[in-house]
Amino acid sequence: MWLEDIPVNVSGADEFLTGNAAAVLREIASLLEQLAQTGEGGCIDLASLPFTSADRTWLRDKLGKGEVEVSISAGGPSTIVETGTPGVWWITHRNEQNAKSGEFIEVTLVPELVATHPADVLSGLESLNKKIMN
Amino acid sequence: MHDKEGMFIQRLASQGISRRAFLKYCATLASLMALPPTAGKAFAEALAKGSRPSVIWLSFQECTGCTESLTRSHAPTLENLIFDTISLDYHHTLQAAAGEAAEQARLDAMKKNWGKYLVIVDGSVPTKDGGMYSCIAGISNYDMLMETAKGAAAIVSIGTCAAFGGIPHANPNPTGAVAVSDIIKDKPIVNVSGCPPIPVVITGVLAQYLALGTLPELDNLGRPKAFFGETIHDRCYRRPFYDQGKFAKTFDDEGARNGWCLYELGCKGPVTYNACATTKWNEGTSFPIESGHGCLGCSEPNFWDAGSFYRPLSTPSRPIKIAELGLAAGAVVGVAIAIANRSKKAGAKAAHQIATVADLEKKP
Repeated sequence: MWLEDIPVNVSGADEFLTGNAAAVLREIASLLEQLAQTGEGGCIDLASLPFTSADRTWLRDKLGKGEVEVSISAGGPSTIVETGTPGVWWITHRNEQNAKSGEFIEVTLVPELVATHPADVLSGLESLNKKIMN
Repeated sequence: MHDKEGMFIQRLASQGISRRAFLKYCATLASLMALPPTAGKAFAEALAKGSRPSVIWLSFQECTGCTESLTRSHAPTLENLIFDTISLDYHHTLQAAAGEAAEQARLDAMKKNWGKYLVIVDGSVPTKDGGMYSCIAGISNYDMLMETAKGAAAIVSIGTCAAFGGIPHANPNPTGAVAVSDIIKDKPIVNVSGCPPIPVVITGVLAQYLALGTLPELDNLGRPKAFFGETIHDRCYRRPFYDQGKFAKTFDDEGARNGWCLYELGCKGPVTYNACATTKWNEGTSFPIESGHGCLGCSEPNFWDAGSFYRPLSTPSRPIKIAELGLAAGAVVGVAIAIANRSKKAGAKAAHQIATVADLEKKP
């Protein structure tokens, strides 16, 4: 008998709503209000909360699906998806082995990781100029 | 752009690590340390700009598992970025120098950075018979620690051996092994326990010191609260089964196959403070309970002497019958058992028990 022949089913633990998703939803609403009034949003770390698959599904359903989806390939794949609630972004980081390393809800106009760093603009310009000269 | 930051980013780029990858790593690290997630950027900037403080790593009565945990963590190693942000002046497993040259490197680093360097210790310190049971270059661990700690800004005890004495300290403790904090009383000490400790916890403590110049907030055992603030049980994905009173009775029964709670198979999760259930191991793959084995409680003092790994916390020292408590009551039972656990753990220290194959096969 091989190890994979032994049936192990642990999905049951994920079938429950812990109640944390509802609390997070209220926190998102509060950050969104802050963003609208001051221009400054915030970030919620989903990985540090006891969150089941059922909680995730519930929260995703409540927030809905938006129009923008960004894929980043840096130290493993990351996805930044705007939810159906404009200004609320669902960020999932994975490492080089494709294991989830972080999951955040960022309430902002544009997620920080998407914008190009000014220093990288300068080094990009330098590199481009060299190509033009050659 | 800040020169140091530019050089740091260039150095990362030469290793194939982009600025975004570094920012991503810092965001994850900051949130793991219970710093605001948006602090990741500030954290990254501080790490990139910071000077490279001298670090002296002393390995005493240990198995090198703690070093392995850190250096083998990821490949290519984002965790190892920490080695780009420190000047590791002495580590007898990693350094190229040997013999007198190695010891001279330690003395030179101490002299040059007196009062500012960070000392990392893994392994316990034997004190019996003049500390003769573990020596490096003819110097006992005790003497080396006393000498090196004098000029240190702070000490980080990595692993349960350095933090609490660990396995060398286990009954009957033939070498008189003690923890660093048993000897050094006049320096800030951070205990990063675990056998081995989780790599990101080691990195997190060092990163906070490097970036913010501060040590993390500690619990009553000197461990960073951000990582040791809750029990394995608090964050366990099998917790709902515990609350429902659904327990695996053996490692191959229906309950085990259904992924039910491993409490009755000896899981020490309810009394063990660590971050395994959230940070996990092997690049975030899983942690022991996810692999079907209970927590051993390796980040707690005296874990080796706390009874069999395969006996439920509630059984040995107090005759609490789980069935009598009515498992369906779930959370209420949890409180009662948690109280009993503490009493049991204290009692078990006195009566050292040896786990045998029979323990594994015995039904609770």
